[in-house]
Amino acid sequence: MARKLISDLGPKRDNVRLSSLSRPMLFTWFMLTGLILLFAPQNLTNDLQFAFARIFRWPLTIGKNISLYARTRRPAPGVMFDKESQIQNYIANLEEQLRQEHQKVVELSGLRDRFHALENAGLIMADVIRVYINAAQSELTINRGQNDGLAEGHFVLGDNSIIGTISELSPRTASVKLFTDPASRIAVRIGNLNIDRLMKGDGKDSAKIQLLSTKHKVRVGDKVMTRKKPGFLDASMIIGTVTQCKRDDRNPAFWDITVKPVCDIERLESITVIIMNPKE
Amino acid sequence: MRWVRFAAFISLVAVLQASLLLDIIALPPFRSKPNLLLILLVFFAIHSNTTNAIITSFAIGFAADISIGYTMGSQTISFGLFGTALAYLHRVIAIRKIPYQALAIFITAFMTGTLAHFLALLRGQSAVSNVYSALLGTALYSAVVGPVFFLPAAWFMRIKTHRLSRR
Repeated sequence: MARKLISDLGPKRDNVRLSSLSRPMLFTWFMLTGLILLFAPQNLTNDLQFAFARIFRWPLTIGKNISLYARTRRPAPGVMFDKESQIQNYIANLEEQLRQEHQKVVELSGLRDRFHALENAGLIMADVIRVYINAAQSELTINRGQNDGLAEGHFVLGDNSIIGTISELSPRTASVKLFTDPASRIAVRIGNLNIDRLMKGDGKDSAKIQLLSTKHKVRVGDKVMTRKKPGFLDASMIIGTVTQCKRDDRNPAFWDITVKPVCDIERLESITVIIMNPKE
Repeated sequence: MRWVRFAAFISLVAVLQASLLLDIIALPPFRSKPNLLLILLVFFAIHSNTTNAIITSFAIGFAADISIGYTMGSQTISFGLFGTALAYLHRVIAIRKIPYQALAIFITAFMTGTLAHFLALLRGQSAVSNVYSALLGTALYSAVVGPVFFLPAAWFMRIKTHRLSRR
């Protein structure tokens, strides 16, 4: 009886409350809220998104695991996964360091120079909370933030290869913009070619290198290395492999090169952030 | 409107949308997947009275912003605007048949996506080149899945879909 009474009164009570505010006024207030959210400083609004990722971390992780289990992906040519890819990437980084060492020795005519690579860098391990990869954006959310010394632009390693950079921060979480994100731009070098080119993400789990003349020999399977970025990365490291190399349709004098990550980013459960000059 | 039930349902769908679970049914080349929050926007615009439709539109937009959004506020505004427009349109033209519902989802998806993209550009935070292709894929997929998703949504919200009326 009481329940029936409440249910009878319920909708009427709602209507009374809502009718006190006219529809145009309601719309205007909500629109104003939206505009405030849009033009509020991003570090404030990011906290809302990070809070969502923190609160729903458990179901988000379960969803990710189920999705990865359900999908069986075949690796692209020259791309391997898991332990094997970690070792291969480690070897590729060592080979690159060796090549640079050799180049320095030649250039400096025998002068000794130390090559530290990441020896003095601070490496911070972080767990992946959320993976968000689609045509419009490719990002990870990790459980480390400003409190752990992270800053925008820090390079991020996954399975010993560069996967992206820190893009947004909150005290306890951060977003990693993957190099496959359409807004990502990273200077790279292909194989043994001593030419820098900009690699742009294409949002299809790969990135593109353009404006490289076809007079340079590029082959499928060639390793792609990041260029040094003083203060952020003091040594070149592997970022991907060439999976497709064809003449650019718009300008046949240049290559249109597709680069794929050398690890399965969606399967990463933890990553490492490189801090080149950590504060003591 | 059962607002507690609504809040629980939107949270559930936002988590589902943000997790990679929908990637199982993603279609190449842009990994298009249905936007469940957008389908719900159209559902509530069609099955609620106009005042409730305005509130649900902005609430769903806010949920989209914090779960899958790139630029905070852009989805709140675009969902709110087009959800309200659809609710007013529904007072004039009742969207009863499944093909019309699918068409409403397709158009709303494309328009909300486009407006959200322009608002993100306004903040200087969008640099996507193939946005319209990606939007088209999502809009088409949502339009196909949408009328089917209306059934569990109506069951969860205890809304009788066969009693459509222009309110």
